[in-house]
This record gives sequence, structure tokens and C-alpha cells, in this order.
Amino acid sequence: MAEDNQPSKKKFSRRKFLKRSAIVLGGTVVATYLARRPIRRLIAETVEGLDLPSIISTYKPMFWFEVRDDNTILMKSPKVEMGQGIFTGFAMLAAEELEITLEQIEVQHASTGNGPVDRMATGGSNSTSSLFVHIRQTAAIMREILKLAAAKHWGVAPSEVTVQNAIISSGDKRITYAEITKITSNWEMPSTPKLKPASSFKYVGKEVKRIDLKQKVTGAPIYGIDHHLPGMLYAVILQSLYIDSTLKSIDTTDAEKSAGVVKIINQKDLIAVVAQNRYAAETALSKIKAEWDVPKKWHQREIDEMVTVGKGTGTSVQNEGDAEDVIEKNPQLVFKQEYRTPMAAHAHMEPNGAVAWVQQDKATIIIGTQAPDMVRKQVADALNMSKDDVIVEVAFPGGGFGRRNNLNNAAQAALISKIMGKPVHVFNTREQEFLNAYYRPNTHHLLKAVITKDGKVQAITHDQATPDMMIKTMAGGTALSLLGADFISAGHGANIIYNIQNKSAKVWQAETPVNIGIWRSVGIFPNSFAIESFINELAHKTGKDAIALRIELLSGNGQINKRYINVLKTLQAKSAWGQPKAPGTGCGVAIANDRKTIAAAVIEVSVANNQILVTKVTHVTDVGFCINPEGVRMQIEGCIMMGISAALYEGIYVKDGQIATSNFHQYPLATLKDTPQIETFILSGADEPYGAGEPPLGPIAPAVAAAVFDATGKRLRSLPLTPIP
Amino acid sequence: MQIIFNINGKDVTVDVDASMPLLWLVRDELHLKATKYGCGKGLCGACTLHVDGQAFRSCSLPAVYVAGKQVTTLEGLSEANNKLHPVQQAWIEENVPQCGYCQPGFMMAAAQLIQQNPNPTEEDIKNNITNICRCGTHPRIIKAIKRAAQIQQSVKPATNGRG
Repeated sequence: MAEDNQPSKKKFSRRKFLKRSAIVLGGTVVATYLARRPIRRLIAETVEGLDLPSIISTYKPMFWFEVRDDNTILMKSPKVEMGQGIFTGFAMLAAEELEITLEQIEVQHASTGNGPVDRMATGGSNSTSSLFVHIRQTAAIMREILKLAAAKHWGVAPSEVTVQNAIISSGDKRITYAEITKITSNWEMPSTPKLKPASSFKYVGKEVKRIDLKQKVTGAPIYGIDHHLPGMLYAVILQSLYIDSTLKSIDTTDAEKSAGVVKIINQKDLIAVVAQNRYAAETALSKIKAEWDVPKKWHQREIDEMVTVGKGTGTSVQNEGDAEDVIEKNPQLVFKQEYRTPMAAHAHMEPNGAVAWVQQDKATIIIGTQAPDMVRKQVADALNMSKDDVIVEVAFPGGGFGRRNNLNNAAQAALISKIMGKPVHVFNTREQEFLNAYYRPNTHHLLKAVITKDGKVQAITHDQATPDMMIKTMAGGTALSLLGADFISAGHGANIIYNIQNKSAKVWQAETPVNIGIWRSVGIFPNSFAIESFINELAHKTGKDAIALRIELLSGNGQINKRYINVLKTLQAKSAWGQPKAPGTGCGVAIANDRKTIAAAVIEVSVANNQILVTKVTHVTDVGFCINPEGVRMQIEGCIMMGISAALYEGIYVKDGQIATSNFHQYPLATLKDTPQIETFILSGADEPYGAGEPPLGPIAPAVAAAVFDATGKRLRSLPLTPIP
Repeated sequence: MQIIFNINGKDVTVDVDASMPLLWLVRDELHLKATKYGCGKGLCGACTLHVDGQAFRSCSLPAVYVAGKQVTTLEGLSEANNKLHPVQQAWIEENVPQCGYCQPGFMMAAAQLIQQNPNPTEEDIKNNITNICRCGTHPRIIKAIKRAAQIQQSVKPATNGRG
């Protein structure tokens, strides 16, 4: 980041900045939170017309920070900490401008009742990048307000006031943030403070451990499932175990007699057992005799056929030059391959669910969710209540990966609480998580290239067939029809990043009966597997080194080209690429650009007795400006392990109208045994931060597949990779 | 039925269905929430705790089994309230957790491993700990277990039969 670089590309007009700084007023409420009515009104009035990042709601004054009596700061985050480490990054950013230590700040989830609300969801690897400027501005203005108050209190010029570690001083006078907050009633707004240059950062750019470590190693009750309210009952919901089925008949006689049962709720669209404890609820659920009407018992073969390039209409997402024409005119030079990826489960460790307490005039929901504002709306709709009367308290989710985006479980919990007149705890069983979830879609890819006689790639096309991941559920079927295909999420990464004169990419919209949703890295996972596998095949076919070919095809004058080349050359230098290999071992490479973060990996495997073992991963990621290398490294490691797991083991299949996986014994995941040696290298090829939670996943599966080919001479073009004996 | 047992050093009497999984007894009757529900079938290890010093997956252990026995959960792993167990210290030093949900189970499994094998190799760790983590903290868990073993050796044996 350049020395004098204020938020790049975000130069505000004065008017705009004033408006923006007013959000920040939300932040200053911090200081003025109690008994500062005039300021609160002023803020309420100002905030209404704000020009805010679109992800943050504006309909109420927002309280980003609170100064607490012990002179620490509480930051309320609109984004959800699912394990990706954003709270630590937020604390670092805020601490820089607040002039406090990292021990002096705590970050909690904002509840919809007390803090900034995120109207979208936490995801897309954009939590930190979207708030990178915003948090610092908010913090800087708050610091200045506190300083101005102290200057006024002492009768000195503001320029004579300094601050360090939440203590304001002037000459030999000292006052803490907490003290000045207590004694000030009239707050003055500062002029726009300049943000600190990167050269003055104390924390940003340094290796910082997670700020939630203590809670997480002592087993603090921080997850939704851990919450307990006085008088709380436990419920489980009867869920269909068949795809596209409706309830035909139900007999609850035995369930009602089951020990500990308080009530069997038997309504249209909601059948639930409510009991004194979870065990009693689960036991009674197993005694409900339900018959399902399953008009068609689906099989995986049919689902695969539905997801096939050429079925339905394809929507062009990239078209440069005239790739299709070049291919048509040179049939003898065409090289083509097909790839498939299966459906997959999120398998997050804490099953979905919520604690709900619906009272006469308000409803409280405690939930680990990626989308608190959506939960609020769903609950308000289900209860026919005003959104204002629904408070969503966000708990730490036990994993997210896309599986906590769009669920009706909070609304169901709220309905049960309303019926019972008591707080209720309603969580899925693991079987329900596997059998009645939404999944990463299965995909089919067709890649074609024209290779000239001198080994040049003259044209390339990529066709991806995929069900919709998000558009239909979030914006409706009409939106999907208008778009033609879900190229935003499912088709993310379908385009070709390589400098090939003629290139095109199409996404074919498939319809399947299975519920589909976002899975970590969205479309990058299947698309990188297909495209990068194909590039590796092109390298082999043209007799070129797979890194050299990529360097050749990614060179150029743009900043992005320089970043690609830097990543690839770093990888070449730091990995075992090109070094001699033992028999039965192999080495593969892949690269991906996921929302401006560039990630590439060289992966080494050994294959013996038809077992693939990943032995080493050398991973290079350019995340742009890096706020916390330790935090980014953790995400890279997580992506490597999830990538290995998905590449080697994971698949969700349909059999006899059901998902054929009911628990972890049918869904093996990578365990400690699968842990390779890992070396990570983080590059900063830009002065603004990009995402780190998902992009490092892109290159893993195709690099493993390439390494298996290198070791065995066998091309595996479907996931999960199973060596052919 | 009435079940009398010791949990984290305290004697307790509970009146629950004999076949209630120990997991739910610990979580919902005794309100010790560190022990997690993950699969209910003994497959993922999130509910790992110790009974008489042995690691068990408590989702698949009926409550009656612990009658007269000593149960230790993560809350009771450290000897004193303000002192962390070597495994917890190592987990902090290696900055292990991400979402953190599976970590109590891993820590309980690790605590037993280093008690039985004070100096485990990487292979020992990989062969003995079969819990599931979805965030991908695997490499750090392995490092942390090695480090916990070192910490344990550098201090006086910290376990007295209920670790």
C-alpha cells in the first residue's frame, strides 16, 4: 500500500464524504450512547439519507462501537464470524484508528436490535475487503470526537491533544476514553480525519492470532446450539427423506406416549415433536409413522443426464474473437475433453437450528446464520409480525461454507415457540443435515481447443452445465429466466483467464429436482477443476511444461498479468516443480483467479494400491493487500484441506428417490491422516485487500488430478478422484 | 432413573432416562456445553469426553454407563480454573481453531493420546485421532498435539487419573 494512499478508488466528493462520515456518526454514538438524546436524533435524521455501501442497511442509526466503563471498546460486527477470522482483522483495522491495543477491543456480532445490519449475507469472501475503508473511517472519526471532547474539557486547542492506548493526553493531563465519555454531554463533530498511511500501521500487516482463541479452547458456549433460556423446551421437526415428496399419512399415537414429550405439533407444513429434552424429542420423532407420497423415485443417472452441456439453452458469459468459428473450421485440429463434478454436502460440524422465544410483542431468535437480516424477515413473515419486533442475535456458527445462507429453520423454531408459549431449541439431526439439505450442484463441462501444427492454442471454448446455485432462491425464477443462467454463482469462474485469441464460455442452465445452494468458492470449485485440468492436458498434448504454458498464456501488461506471473514464478521457485520424482509419485499444478485473489498450487501425491495420498502442497496466494498474514494462512490451510477432501472423497448421490448419504460413515471427509506437508506463500500484489476465505480452494482439485496423472499416467476427469486399477 | 457420578471433580445426582446419551445429559441437564453434538453416531468425535480417564464419544454412551464413574469434559480438563491444560495451551500457541466447534472433541482426544503416549510421532497422531474437522485445521491440530506433548513433559505430570 502506498504511503499516502487514502482509500484507493474511493475518492469521495466532499458532499459524499460528509454523508459517509455521517454513518460514522453511527459509530460515534458509541461514545454518546446513553442519555445523549439530541445527538441520537441528529444521527437518526442524518443516517436516513446516507450513501452507504449497499450491504449495510441504513434504516436505523447504527452503533458500531461502544466505549465501555473499563476503557475497552466493543465493536459490533455486521458480518458473521464463521471461523474465517474476520473479527481479528476487524479488530486490527479498528485498533489502528482508535489508537488502542488489540487487548482493548472486543468484537461481537451485532444483533439486529443493537448494531449495523448487513442486508445481504456473510459470504463471497468479501467481509474484510468490503469494510476495509469503512471500519477505519468509523474508528478515525470516533477517535477525533473523543479527542475534541477532551480538548474542550481541558480548554486546550485540539492540536495539542494526543491519544495512545485509549488514553487522551495534553501536556501532563490524562483522561481515558471511558472517562471522557462519561462526562461529556455535547459532542462536536470533527473535520474529516485523514486515515493513517500503511507505514504507520501498528497491527495491520503483522502476524496476529485469533482474538476468539480463549473462548474456543475453553469450550465457551458461543454457538447457537449452546444457548439455553429459562423454561426452554427442545423440538425436532419431521422432515421428508425423499426428493419431491409430500406427506401422505401420519400416525403420532406412539410418539405422543413417548417419555418426556410435551406436545406433537401436527399442522400443515410443520410437524414437530416438542419435549423436555433433546433425547426425548429425538426418540419420539423416531416413533412417528409417516408415509410419503413420492411421485417419482429419482436416481443419480437421471440427475446427471439433466446436467449435460447442450441441454436447454446456453448463456454466453465470455466471447472474444471467434472461437466457435475457428473450431468449426479446423475439426482436425480440435482437442476436446469432458469433466464432471458431483453434488457435495457442506458437512459443517454444527447442524443448523435456532433457539426461538416468541412473546406477545416481540420475537428473539438466537442463531448461527450467514444472513441475519433474511432470518429476521422470514421470522417476521411467519409470525405476521413487524420486522422491527424481531430481534436476531447472531451466535458463532459452527461452520458455514454456504450452508447457513437461506434456511427456514428460524421461522419454524419461531412458530413452535409461539405455539408453546415458551422458548424452544430446534436443531437438525445430522441425518436431517445430510438427507434434507441443499447441496453443491453437480456439473458437466465440455472444453475444446484448436491447437495449431506448431503447438499454439488458437482457440478455446468452455461449456458448463449446472443447476442454479442461488438466483432462484434469492431472487425468484423470473430473475433466473431473465439472466438465462446462474453465471453469477454457479457459473462463477466459467470464463477463460488465459490470453488465447479466440475464447468463449457458456453456462447451460440445468434443472434438477435436488435442492442446490452455494458451497465454499461457489462456481470456482467445479470450473477450476474442469478448465485447469484441460489446460494441464493441453500442456501435455503440446509437450510443454504446465507452468511454462501458463506463464506464456498469462503474460501481458496489465496489473493482473503481472500478478499471475509473480504467483507462478514464486510457485516454480518454492516448490518441487521440475525436480526428480520417485516412482509412484507425481506433481501437478493449477491456478485460479477468484474475485481478484490469485491462488496457485503445486501438489505432490503418491499413489499406491489405488490409494491417492497428497504428500505436499506448495500454495501461493496473492490476496492483494494482506491485513493479517496469519489469518490468511489459516484460510489457505483450510481451503487446502477442504479441497483435498472434495477432490478425493466427497460426493452426494441420489438413489431410490433419496440422498444416499445419511451420516459421516457414508460421507468420508479428509481426516488427520490426509494432512500433507503444507507450505504457504502470501503475496501482496495490490494496495487493497481481496478475499481469502474461498479463493485458495480453486487450484486444489485440478492440481491433485494432474499429480495423479503424473504419477500413474491416468487422467481422471470426474470427481472424486478414484484411481482406475 | 437416578444416576450418581462425578463430573469435573463434583459429585452429581441426576434423574434421567437410563439410555439418554451422556452427551445430552452433560449438555442439557448439567449445562456443560463444551461437549458438542456432531453426528449422534460416534463418527465425528465432536462429543469426545473422558470417563475414568478414557476417551469416549458421548453421543453413543448411555447415561447409565457412567454411574459411579468420573467424567471429565473440556470444562474440567485443566486442574485449576485459571490454568489451561497443556493441550489448551498448545492449541492457543498454534492458533488452531477456526469455527472452533469440533475443537473440544479434538482436545479431549489429544489429551488422552499424550497421556498414554507422552511423545507421539506424527504417525501416532494421524493413526489415533480420527475426529472430523471441516474448517481444515488439521495441520495445526497435528502441530499442537506435538507441542502439547512437549508442554506436558516440561511440567510435572498434570494428570491425576481424571485427565
